Amino acid sequence: MTIKVLAFAGSPRRHGNSETLLDWVLGSMAEDPEVAIEKVPLTEANINICRGCNACEKLNKCVQRDGMDIYHDKIIEADIILLSSPIFCMGIAALPKALIDRMQVFRSRKFVLKLPVVPPERRGKRLGAFLASAGQDWPYVFDAAIPSVKCFYHVIDIRDADISYLMINHVDEKGAIERHPTAKADAMKLGKDMIAELKKRLLA
Amino acid sequence: MTITVLGISGSPRRHGNTETLLDSFLEGAREAGAGVEKVILKDLDITPCRGCNACHKGGDCIVKDDAPLLYDRIFAADCVAVASPIYSMGITAQLKGFIDRGQYLWARKFVIKTMFFPNDHIQRHKGLFISTAGQNWDHVFDGAFPMITAFFNGTGFEYYDNIIANNMDEYGGIKNHPTAMKDAFLKGQQVVAVLENLKKQ
Repeated sequence: MTIKVLAFAGSPRRHGNSETLLDWVLGSMAEDPEVAIEKVPLTEANINICRGCNACEKLNKCVQRDGMDIYHDKIIEADIILLSSPIFCMGIAALPKALIDRMQVFRSRKFVLKLPVVPPERRGKRLGAFLASAGQDWPYVFDAAIPSVKCFYHVIDIRDADISYLMINHVDEKGAIERHPTAKADAMKLGKDMIAELKKRLLA
Repeated sequence: MTITVLGISGSPRRHGNTETLLDSFLEGAREAGAGVEKVILKDLDITPCRGCNACHKGGDCIVKDDAPLLYDRIFAADCVAVASPIYSMGITAQLKGFIDRGQYLWARKFVIKTMFFPNDHIQRHKGLFISTAGQNWDHVFDGAFPMITAFFNGTGFEYYDNIIANNMDEYGGIKNHPTAMKDAFLKGQQVVAVLENLKKQ
């Protein structure tokens, strides 16, 4: 059994707090020899902004030719999809928002054309997790990001109950998350738990 | 003195529902005597914030593109109407990209402390959010509001009002909405009258 993990690192800053959080999750997943990980920094993914043309509602594909040509298929093939982002100006950063907006092709497939996004036998056997960091210490600093994250997962057939969240506030400068009392342990545990849960479902 | 109103369209699609609603607002403002300008974000050269935090030292953005120029135009306006359709329960990546580039303003306010907006300034600068959504859910705009609040806080504008209309998919477009276009026009007239009164004081 190979478990495919696709991880989008959404921060424009490489190796900052949200990406470190993602790396911890991936690190604990990678300890399992059956896990195959692909990590994609969105700074290098060449994903354009959605044009809002709605052509996908008819064509069942996007009219833009860019990095999404590759990631469209990988998103369907993956068993686990991770997304990390810092909070900028009370919301998800612009790069991951661009990725989320480009999920419109899946939304059109699912809700307009009423076609399957993943084969029926794989439904309920996909998991997602959102990893985020924020400089602010407000507990509600992540609230506005979550509805867009849910959209991202819902349209690619990852159900609400199958999305995990690990969101760490009050970490701002690069490396601050290393000094957080629980972030690393929580991230490692999340990685382990997700692999265990997925294996259980794949074997069921 | 003439009230100046700047409309910013954050939609990737030209002349769609949100921009049409913005146009109605701007038309109302123009009719009330304001000097009105409209900016189309997608036609500008604005890259996403790099998160480099260089602005935390000097208070300026090191990325030289249209973003700081547009912020200068915002500072020259009495009223700013920022418009975005709802995509995936939030504002567009385009508008979020521009808002994130305001980080240097945040740095000026809170890190190097060279910028401060007194209450009197904030009251005389009114910001509105204009949006449409295909979904009929009442909460479809909720994810957008905190980012718009951050934008107006950063630029010293009072977050004065929303002009929002959901359920576009069912109406088949903003022009079929029973009240939105008229409301936007009236709010354009009203905000100019309010700002003119404040200028007289």
